[in-house]
Amino acid sequence: MSNSKLYKGSLNTIILKLLNEHDKMYGYEITQKVKALTKGELNITEGALYPALHKLEAEGLLDVEVAKVDNRLRKYYKLTETGTKETVSKLQELAEYIKTMQALVNPKLA
Amino acid sequence: MKLTKDEIKFIDDYLIKNEVKFWDVRLELLDHIVSAVEDKITNDGTSFNEALLEIHKSFGNQFIEFGVSKTEVLTKGLYQSNIGFKKFTRNKQKEIGRKNRKRYWIILKDTLMSVSFFLEYIILILLVLASYQYKPKTALLITLVALVIPELLKFKYVFKKGVRHSLNANMVGLLNSSFLCFQGLILDFYKEEFTFNGVVDYRYIICFYLLVYPLTRASFNLYKEVLNTVKARYKLLIS
Repeated sequence: MSNSKLYKGSLNTIILKLLNEHDKMYGYEITQKVKALTKGELNITEGALYPALHKLEAEGLLDVEVAKVDNRLRKYYKLTETGTKETVSKLQELAEYIKTMQALVNPKLA
Repeated sequence: MKLTKDEIKFIDDYLIKNEVKFWDVRLELLDHIVSAVEDKITNDGTSFNEALLEIHKSFGNQFIEFGVSKTEVLTKGLYQSNIGFKKFTRNKQKEIGRKNRKRYWIILKDTLMSVSFFLEYIILILLVLASYQYKPKTALLITLVALVIPELLKFKYVFKKGVRHSLNANMVGLLNSSFLCFQGLILDFYKEEFTFNGVVDYRYIICFYLLVYPLTRASFNLYKEVLNTVKARYKLLIS
């Protein structure tokens, strides 16, 4: 992932949040969606995205569905039941982190 | 702009040339690269080659392979360094291993809870107990056969098309082999405990094999589950 090391720790949460909003997504679609949502500010590289996706799959948070699209196979990722629960807790964790950082960096706004 | 069948085939060959030998690893890379190339050609107006080079780099590959002779670079072709793809495969291998180990315990639990397995296990124990009364060696042979049958059944899947070059199939096979080696090691380690005055007491060996039977059965069920998924995906790939 480019831009900043700060984003690295939140990659799993970003993926889970996106999959929570969409029924299923494939790798390239995730990178493009993040790019579009952040107006090009955040660029997830392939070298960071796939290890994260495979890790989440191994942990049982994501499920895989394979379909044939335009003469090739496409691997779709979707949230499992555990994944949906984990998304809620991860987002809560992230919100608390942002709040804490806000209090430290800009106490007036906190 | 959508890529033609030939261009997709070119990218697939490029991945094979870059030593991504497992088709189930290649399918994800292929889809990503094709989507990215199509996107770059349509939105940025770049050429096919430029787009492919850019994506090659984004996977963490380089254009120069240090410590490799020029002759080897020339024989390897345009994309000499495949360090990013190697890392991708290694990482996937690690995560598949982790997924299989996790799935194994769930399958073991399900196997132990199933009525059909319970009946199968009881029949095996009764058969072994009955034969032990007449000839202990026969009882040992029955337990060994019961353990070997799932291993033999695996051959039904091994020679299926697409299984040999699948990372998922290779990883689940590896888990099974290491499991069998581990059983052998335990038995070898406690060999002396089972021997009294130079005579092997079959009771302990039989008990050991009967205890590991559910574990072997669960490993076979995992193998079957993974191989069925691999087979279904391969069928879709060649359709």
